[in-house]
Amino acid sequence: MDKIGENSQTRTLSPLFRQLLRLKVWTVERFRLSERQVTLIWAALIGVLGALASEVFRKATELLHYLATGSESGIITSFSRLPWWQRLAVPTVGGLLAGLTLWLGNRLFASIRQKSTTDYMEAIVVGSGIISVRASLVKSLSALFSIGTGTSIGREGPLVQLSSLAASLVGRIRRFPIPQRRHLVACGAAAGIASAYNAPIAASFFVAEIILGTVVVESLGPLILASVVAAFVSQAMNGSEPLYKSPGFNLHTRWEIIPLSCIGFVSGFVAPAYLRFLRTAERLFSKVEIPIPMKLALGGAMVGALAILNPAVSGNGQGVLRSLFHQNWFWDEVLAILVLKLVATAVAFGSGVVGGVFTPTLFIGAAIGMLYGQAVLFLAPDLRSDPAMYGLVGMGAFIAATTGAPLMAILMAFELTLDYAIAPFLMVNCVVAYYCSSIFERRFMYGESLERKGAAFFNQQLAEVSIRDLVRLDPLTLAKNATFAKIAETFVQHRFQHIYIVDKEKRLLGAVSLHDVKTFLDRPELETVVIAADIMNEDFPCVSPLQGMSEALHKFSEANSERLPVVDDLSSKRLIGSISKTDIILHLAGEQNSTGTNRRLGKG
Amino acid sequence: MISRKSVEHLRTAIFIRNLEAKSEHEAILKLIGALQGHPLVKDLSELSAAIFDRQQSDPPLFPGGIAFPHARTNSVSSMVMVAATCPQPIPFGEMPVRLIFLIGVPKHAGAEYLEMISFLARHVRGDQVIDRLVQTEDLPSFLLAFAEHP
Repeated sequence: MDKIGENSQTRTLSPLFRQLLRLKVWTVERFRLSERQVTLIWAALIGVLGALASEVFRKATELLHYLATGSESGIITSFSRLPWWQRLAVPTVGGLLAGLTLWLGNRLFASIRQKSTTDYMEAIVVGSGIISVRASLVKSLSALFSIGTGTSIGREGPLVQLSSLAASLVGRIRRFPIPQRRHLVACGAAAGIASAYNAPIAASFFVAEIILGTVVVESLGPLILASVVAAFVSQAMNGSEPLYKSPGFNLHTRWEIIPLSCIGFVSGFVAPAYLRFLRTAERLFSKVEIPIPMKLALGGAMVGALAILNPAVSGNGQGVLRSLFHQNWFWDEVLAILVLKLVATAVAFGSGVVGGVFTPTLFIGAAIGMLYGQAVLFLAPDLRSDPAMYGLVGMGAFIAATTGAPLMAILMAFELTLDYAIAPFLMVNCVVAYYCSSIFERRFMYGESLERKGAAFFNQQLAEVSIRDLVRLDPLTLAKNATFAKIAETFVQHRFQHIYIVDKEKRLLGAVSLHDVKTFLDRPELETVVIAADIMNEDFPCVSPLQGMSEALHKFSEANSERLPVVDDLSSKRLIGSISKTDIILHLAGEQNSTGTNRRLGKG
Repeated sequence: MISRKSVEHLRTAIFIRNLEAKSEHEAILKLIGALQGHPLVKDLSELSAAIFDRQQSDPPLFPGGIAFPHARTNSVSSMVMVAATCPQPIPFGEMPVRLIFLIGVPKHAGAEYLEMISFLARHVRGDQVIDRLVQTEDLPSFLLAFAEHP
């Protein structure tokens, strides 16, 4: 403990030393990079890495597709040129290889997966921000086989996985603390989505709204930066055209506003059925007791069989979605491809193929919107409705209804099409669809499992930790008659924001805050006339070792301080140590601060 | 640099000319008595106790004979001040005091208090200034004497 006697400190500081003290405090306060600023800088780099990782995967998919089909065209075109048996064989073999990859990976890297997660969402929300490299690569390779051979699954899943992995590696190499690592992985996920869809705004909101569950500037800033950088890098390599460029729409009559504003109801009521359909497929496949390679081969074979009927079911749906918006489709053609694609996606998803369902969901939403538009055209031909416009709006509304993230859905649909004319309808229908869907379905596409994992983990950790375990002994203290000069000197010599004031019996009297005195550090006239008792906060919150961590967190919110004094009991208030937010966070994250040099109370 | 807030507090201070007292205790009691019925004082006895309590540890004094009995207490709703001139110096410990500034400040107004102490300490410096202040007859001339030495 700092030996500060009760006698008055009459020594004064020299003017030069005073100026230096003030300069130091000023410099440190203004130019020290905070954790947020450091995160922001790394977010930009992660944006680049995310886009490059996505590009590598994209190119690898194209290469595998070429090797499997002998065609450099898109998946649907390639499949339509293949004989029927090859349409069946390619996804079947692809599924078999994808399954074998997973099977081998599970055998080889089971021990790794127990220590770290492969799920980027889990790594962000409840994990330590560490994603297993080998297990992630196994999953990505498996996804490569499935996607490259035309399975009806989205490639955004592995793109986001690889991008998050790159971010996780940055966090590990730089040895960032856990919260920062998690935030960087979130930036990686946003970068992956941004490069997959060329939609940086929606990518940021996807991660913020769905995974982090909060849209605050503090967390959104790095996400936006990572997404924008990733989008720029992707655009440099693939062009800046929106993924589903709108052909441009105009309302022929104002009356069309009415049917256009009602798509949300249709999407909102259909979406819960779609989610249940996917879960049912997953449940049915789980009952098929065959090895993983056979299960994925079976899934691939079923998609291949559907591709014999209509090659447009193959792939993630991107090609057929573009076609929907730019070519004339009859209602029966739309209905047929919708049903086939729905089954193909459910089969692929249910069989356990690694990948995403976001793009297939976009297609299903657009097809439902188009069918609705066809119905409007049939029932009210005077409106001269363009069903493709209904398809675009339906795409956004269906995403809102299935993900439970209307804000992200509005931005995503807008960025995918860059058509301002549909923006108002998107906004209305996304919100309506979300509310309608919420009536029947509370388990959205990504949310439920994350919510469950996060809440359980936090409550368990909070209940297990006690203040006693985290107390650091011998805090920095001064006597109540310590002069202003001594207080200023102490603040400069230590990096604490508060100095605790104690009496002879070490009873806590209050705390002096750096924030309160920093503007007076260059006032020599105060150095001997003002003492600690004059400026201390007597109501500074303190905790006792017997209190729970929830109470400590509540006191931290009152004090707005990094540390809180710990007293033996709240009546006598004899100071025994301090507890810091950092130690609590590290403890909750499952790590002890091994760099601490002070002694701890420990258990017992 | 002149603090407008500090000047404002000084402008609304109670001024006591030619305070006579035999001891520090008596002088402070007289200054506290001047605050009787002051609209910003919620509890005069609590203010008095707080000021005497503060005097127990390192009474704030400046060279030339200036005393700053003060307290941070919630018995005042805003800063209150009593300024007194003592042509006949009053002993505060070993120092003969010729000017007294009694200050009561609410607990939440720590920065205001530091600003005021700093302001007074900067302006009431040197024998000439103190002599002129001690010779003033009322608050306006007291303030004028301050203004002459910004």
